Amino acid sequence: MLRKTFEGEIQQLKDDVLLLGSMVEQAILDSVEALKKRDVKASERIFAEDAAINKKRFDIENKLMVLIATQQPMAHDLRLLASTMEIISELERMGDYAKGIANINIRMGDAPLLKPLIDVPRMAQIGADMLHRALTAFVNEDVEMAKSIPIQDDEVDALYNQVYHELMMFIIQDPKTIERANWLLWVAHNLERVADRVTNICERTVFIVTGEMKEIKATDDEFWKGQHS
Amino acid sequence: MTPLTPSPSPTKRGGQPAYNVNIERRNRTGNVWRWVFRASTIVGIIALTALILNIMNSAFGYAALEAKVDPATLTVDGLPLEQQSKEQLVELLRSKLSKGAFNKLDNETSFEERSRANVLQVVNERIVRYEVVQVWTLWTSLTKADEIRAIAATEFPTAELKFISWLTTDFVTRPQSSEAITTGVRTAILGSLWTILFTILFAFPIGVGAAIYLEEYATDNWLNRAIRTNINNLAGVPSIVYGILGLAIFVRTLEPLTSGELFGMVDSTTANGRTVLAAGLTLGLLVLPIIIINAQEAIRAVPQSLRKASYGLGATKWQTIWSHVLPNAMPGILTGTILAISRAIGETAPLVVVGASTAISFDPESPFSKFTTLPIQIYQWTARPQAEFRSVAAATILVLLVMLLSLNASAVILRNRFSRKY
Amino acid sequence: MTQPSTERSPFVLETKDLGIFYGDFRAVASVNIPIERHKITAIIGPSGCGKSTLLRAFNRMNELSTGTRIEGEVLFEGENLYHPMVDPVEVRYRIGMVFQKPNPFPKSIYENIAWGARIHGYKGKMEELVESCLRQAALWDEVKDKLTQSGLALSGGQQQRLCIARALAVQPEVILMDEPASALDPIATLKIEELMQELKKNYTIVIVTHNMQQAARASDRTAMMMINHERSGTVIEFNETQKIFTNPKDKRTEDYVTGRFG
Repeated sequence: MLRKTFEGEIQQLKDDVLLLGSMVEQAILDSVEALKKRDVKASERIFAEDAAINKKRFDIENKLMVLIATQQPMAHDLRLLASTMEIISELERMGDYAKGIANINIRMGDAPLLKPLIDVPRMAQIGADMLHRALTAFVNEDVEMAKSIPIQDDEVDALYNQVYHELMMFIIQDPKTIERANWLLWVAHNLERVADRVTNICERTVFIVTGEMKEIKATDDEFWKGQHS
Repeated sequence: MTPLTPSPSPTKRGGQPAYNVNIERRNRTGNVWRWVFRASTIVGIIALTALILNIMNSAFGYAALEAKVDPATLTVDGLPLEQQSKEQLVELLRSKLSKGAFNKLDNETSFEERSRANVLQVVNERIVRYEVVQVWTLWTSLTKADEIRAIAATEFPTAELKFISWLTTDFVTRPQSSEAITTGVRTAILGSLWTILFTILFAFPIGVGAAIYLEEYATDNWLNRAIRTNINNLAGVPSIVYGILGLAIFVRTLEPLTSGELFGMVDSTTANGRTVLAAGLTLGLLVLPIIIINAQEAIRAVPQSLRKASYGLGATKWQTIWSHVLPNAMPGILTGTILAISRAIGETAPLVVVGASTAISFDPESPFSKFTTLPIQIYQWTARPQAEFRSVAAATILVLLVMLLSLNASAVILRNRFSRKY
Repeated sequence: MTQPSTERSPFVLETKDLGIFYGDFRAVASVNIPIERHKITAIIGPSGCGKSTLLRAFNRMNELSTGTRIEGEVLFEGENLYHPMVDPVEVRYRIGMVFQKPNPFPKSIYENIAWGARIHGYKGKMEELVESCLRQAALWDEVKDKLTQSGLALSGGQQQRLCIARALAVQPEVILMDEPASALDPIATLKIEELMQELKKNYTIVIVTHNMQQAARASDRTAMMMINHERSGTVIEFNETQKIFTNPKDKRTEDYVTGRFG
């Protein structure tokens, strides 16, 4: 096998992506945990975490640039490097969602939670789990695994719908809760977006291996019909 | 050079001494070889210098000349020979020579056409008749002039002692004669030039043609390989063998052609095929393998990329050869031809066999003339017992060398013109 | 050869089960590729896979070395180039070639171009032809003041463009390029590649290259060649260049373009 150096550098790159992924995963879980406990100090730490995530992302991006410039990747290598560029940008955005959740906690100030958080931590848990598995699929270039992950997105979507309907009920019953409900709605929305972006990562993984750029449609129409009816 | 700081462990790799760098010793070896090569060059230069000096030594020096008839007795109206007019000299000849001899001279070139210097020369040759009784080499002449004068005074009291350059313009332009002091090499120079002309005319086109065929057209089969190998072998055949071949083919078998009989141009003095033409063809045969081999080399040296470029444009084989292969091979072909011609000019043995005349005093005038050449003259004169002919031979060698050099120079100029064109 | 039929196929050249032999050795086996008109077709592959041999089969240059023969057909405008009645001289006249090492004739720049036209009996104004060829080869501005100078006095890149101009002078329909930039520096290489893009408007180009980036940058179609189990070179994948370099179908192509061949 030629190109041992390049192979090694790709491995290093994948490790870096995994590291970035775990930082993001942690940030998401931490942000929701802080919100659940209304721990403003913990939320402030999330900001620092996000700065670290951003820095890591730029580090990886730099490495990618160097690899593309020096190794002149073709075919699979080209797809891998180009997709990695996309994936780290997705990860960075996910980090921003975590920061957004932390920000909501801080801005809520002394106001108590509208309701105890049950579905929201669950969403965070599923999202973090999806992210973890998506990155495993990416590192192993496992198409089957990557294709199976977006199905979980539907679970998250379902939870989001549930939270949404619940909060709507609060608002209808007492319009004064609208601000606090809105905060929680944003949190749920951020988490729902996390799962969507994980789907993007999975699509990239499939592209790296097969060269086909297609959306993975986990959400079949039947499912949505069931939800809305 | 300042030595570099020694690296921590220059001779150890993995505990074992791995390298014995010793640059100093390697440089010493190199220096020894350089001196060996320099010595070889010096030996070569010494040999060449010795050759030239040896020739020079014989070609110049004191000679004791004795006149059969004392020029002092030939004064007319108190005027010595040197100051007499042409008419007076002619009168002298008429009175001193037999009528037949005088008429013969007049027939060769009428006295009216001859210059005064020429007439004076004839007088010197036919009436005064200087004879060389003793020659000294240049070295002796320069170092022991007094001794020479003493010897000359005691042994040849009547002789005139003169410092002579055997190589003079007269020597080059005079025809051959039996006296060393009056002989010349005009006949031989012209003979050489005529012979070489036919050598070139014969060997150059045929040699180049054969080379083109062998390199560009001949397929690589056993026959053509055998031909190539044998041409190489032919270049090493002793030249005398070519002489024998030339004698059999050109002198005997093709006599009607080489004697000019076919063209009705038989030279009055030649009754057989021993002519300039036969000699030229024989030498042509001799140098043909050299020309073919060199031309082959030159053609082979034309880069294949040029041929490809030409074929790639849709050129035919002949267009490729004519426009690209030949022009680019020409400098190399000419270099080979120069070498071949130089060899031909110096050849003696085959011409002896083919039948060069050794003593002719008239110039070759057509391909069918009898001939002699410079190396033949050298050979013949060195074979004579008289010391003065060695001096004549040395002068002839100088003439031959000059001729060789000028022929080569003109060929080099021609070659450079070809090279500069591109 | 007769005139090309009025209804022209999109393929100028087409090989039909083409095999090329050196003596008994089959250097190239069963190649079936079409060469599209006014496109640049690149032939890539590892050393010794028969790329150049295949290229030379397109204008019968292989025949210059003894002992080569072919099986199958090479169709040029629908006609077999190897038909016994076809003269290789005419083939090379209509399908020109540019070689790996720039090989201008050791003549003046002007003569380099005029010679080819002259041997084919060009009747027009030679000065105009020379200028137009040099312009097409993007060399005119650099050499217009020194047309009488030797072609060998030019730089490597200029020499190669001179060779291209020389090929244009006989107005071929196809230009074969055998690693035309492999002896050139990167700038000169890019100039040649730019030039190819200009030339493809009027000519069909087939290029052999070792440089995969070059094939990727400069060509429209790419044929990937590889040694098969009988040690003969053959085309294992032929596709649009962008497909070959982003998502090749054959694993061997993938390994080759990503530099993992070996």
